[in-house]
Amino acid sequence: MNIFLKLYLNFNYTVSMILFLIGLYTIISKSNLIKKLIGLNIMETSVFLFFISIGAVKGGRAPILEGTASQVQYVNPLPQALILTGIVVAVSTTALALSLIIKIYEHCGTIEAEKLKEMEEGR
Amino acid sequence: MKNKIFNQAIIITGLLAFALLSLSAVAEMPRFGDPNNPPNLHVVDRYLEKGEEEAGCKNVVTDIILNYRGYDTMGEVTVIFTALCAALAILKRENFYTSFSLLDTSPNKTSIVVRTIIALMFPLIFLFGLYVILHGEDTPGGGFQGGTVIAASLILFILVFGFRYTLNKLSPKFREFFESMAPLSFFLVGSLSLIIGLEFLSYMLPIFSEGYRLEVARLLLSFIEIGIGVGGAAIFTSLFFSMQREEK
Repeated sequence: MNIFLKLYLNFNYTVSMILFLIGLYTIISKSNLIKKLIGLNIMETSVFLFFISIGAVKGGRAPILEGTASQVQYVNPLPQALILTGIVVAVSTTALALSLIIKIYEHCGTIEAEKLKEMEEGR
Repeated sequence: MKNKIFNQAIIITGLLAFALLSLSAVAEMPRFGDPNNPPNLHVVDRYLEKGEEEAGCKNVVTDIILNYRGYDTMGEVTVIFTALCAALAILKRENFYTSFSLLDTSPNKTSIVVRTIIALMFPLIFLFGLYVILHGEDTPGGGFQGGTVIAASLILFILVFGFRYTLNKLSPKFREFFESMAPLSFFLVGSLSLIIGLEFLSYMLPIFSEGYRLEVARLLLSFIEIGIGVGGAAIFTSLFFSMQREEK
């Protein structure tokens, strides 16, 4: 089968990989620390999208049980529960990184990684 | 300058190679949305069939995060609490006399339209957050989601009415009590089952008769949900407060 058709059929996975690459590019190529942090958050979001998509079922309902209806097709609740954990950890790391960036700015007066490196070498 | 272009070329080549690998891997994965995908075949049937009678909630996601994988969630709650502790160790708590938001120092106050709308909407958003926390067992939602909604409404309030006005209402002493609520509620419920002689964090307590056991489990679950929700809201608000800086 044509690879583009395969990629289209796995649309969510493809998009999450592209998001991951965007985030990785931002982290590597940008010098501003806040931009790097935004790239990290984009990468995290792509992983969340990938995980949730793994548990999706076409035509499935949200996993909230309704009485005796055993014929209903539910989506997989396990990735959703795991990603809830992941989101909270991502928020925690973002908060910690932001507070470190605030402290760096107060101390050095800049948040450009290249200038910080120059300052360190000049010392 | 030449060095910079060379760097960019290396980065783009590396990323293109990574893209080629990852996209060809993704194309060969099982089809999206297929009910017979490998992740849908193993433990999930057990959760969907027996979740309600074993764990006590209709919402299977709540069953999994609080009952089947309760230790995991306890660790996670400790992670956000630790993040707050670390951020406060780096930044210190906000100081009423030295820190302002831009709004407190600027000569122009927020427009009256924004103030009126937020004054009307704030109680409704807050109430919606409480609803999401309290109905986490039977409807989509739960402690973390509702806590985030409450924290968002409080942050909106700070942004519109200014830092000092809000700090008068929500003093650090007042928030301190709520910040540790999330891990504490887990440890309280966990030690309750330890005292009776069961494993840590088991909800089905045998001292109650068969009919009431599930009800008690539901009560304990909603106790933890409230703890997580209120604790999470307090933690996010405190993080926002501590990041306020003096305008120079």
